[in-house]
Amino acid sequence: MAVDVFRRRGDGSVVVTLDADALEVLRSTAAEVAAIVAEPPNQEVGDRLFPRAYLDPTEEQAEQELRDLTHSDLVQARLTALEAVTDDLDVREVGRRGRVEIVLAPGQEQLWLMALNDARLVFGTLLGVSQDDQADYKPTDPRYEYGVVYRFLSALQQELVELLLGEMPPGADEEF
Amino acid sequence: MTGTGTGTEEIVVPDTVEELLGGEDVRPDVPWIVIVWDDPINTMDYVTLVFQKLFGYPHAKARRLMLQVHNDGKAVVSSGNREKCEIDVIRLHGHGLWATMQKDD
Repeated sequence: MAVDVFRRRGDGSVVVTLDADALEVLRSTAAEVAAIVAEPPNQEVGDRLFPRAYLDPTEEQAEQELRDLTHSDLVQARLTALEAVTDDLDVREVGRRGRVEIVLAPGQEQLWLMALNDARLVFGTLLGVSQDDQADYKPTDPRYEYGVVYRFLSALQQELVELLLGEMPPGADEEF
Repeated sequence: MTGTGTGTEEIVVPDTVEELLGGEDVRPDVPWIVIVWDDPINTMDYVTLVFQKLFGYPHAKARRLMLQVHNDGKAVVSSGNREKCEIDVIRLHGHGLWATMQKDD
């Protein structure tokens, strides 16, 4: 699924170009994912969004203390990213050929990155995505519609990831 | 047990590490490692980007670690004392990666 959505302008801001359908899909996705982040519908989704830090059962006390210390911040960070995207999507004027151009505030693309990934985590977990099942379902499959959304989010995220990866400092050569 | 000793030496086994080291535990406080596990949702490029963004790793190192996660199912991505590893794990969770921490046995 080729998309052409994210572009870095000369002034450093990222522009998001969407058609009306994509805008609507992202709006409803952000709302749905925010509700799930606030109250995961099952343990699988909860564990995927907020995994254990310690596997060792003898560290249960440390696990609980860490969770008490960080869980609400983790929830809030996710909701903040989803709300930021929702605010960005609040455009009323549709431009030429039914497309809208959203200019993101500096650094805001990092919140888009996190919101897109959280949406993929939530939908991917609910769909049961695996290495052999990348949500490419037949139209008769009850999961078809969410599968289409998942694949759209994946394509969108991949484009943003490639943009940001291309901008990372190359860094030193491999040290070992 | 076999040996070449005369059998007359008295062997004193220290009770604690402190005793062994002379009263002070001078071991470096780096007994923890952070592990990222493979999962079917996060993409290879995204995981590479997160390693670069969170740890400041050069692209080559971030990509090598990502491939290790992908091929071996897991990779050690950072280490340090308990507090540092907890911070790293929580940051990785915030970015949607499946990370855990354990003692570096």
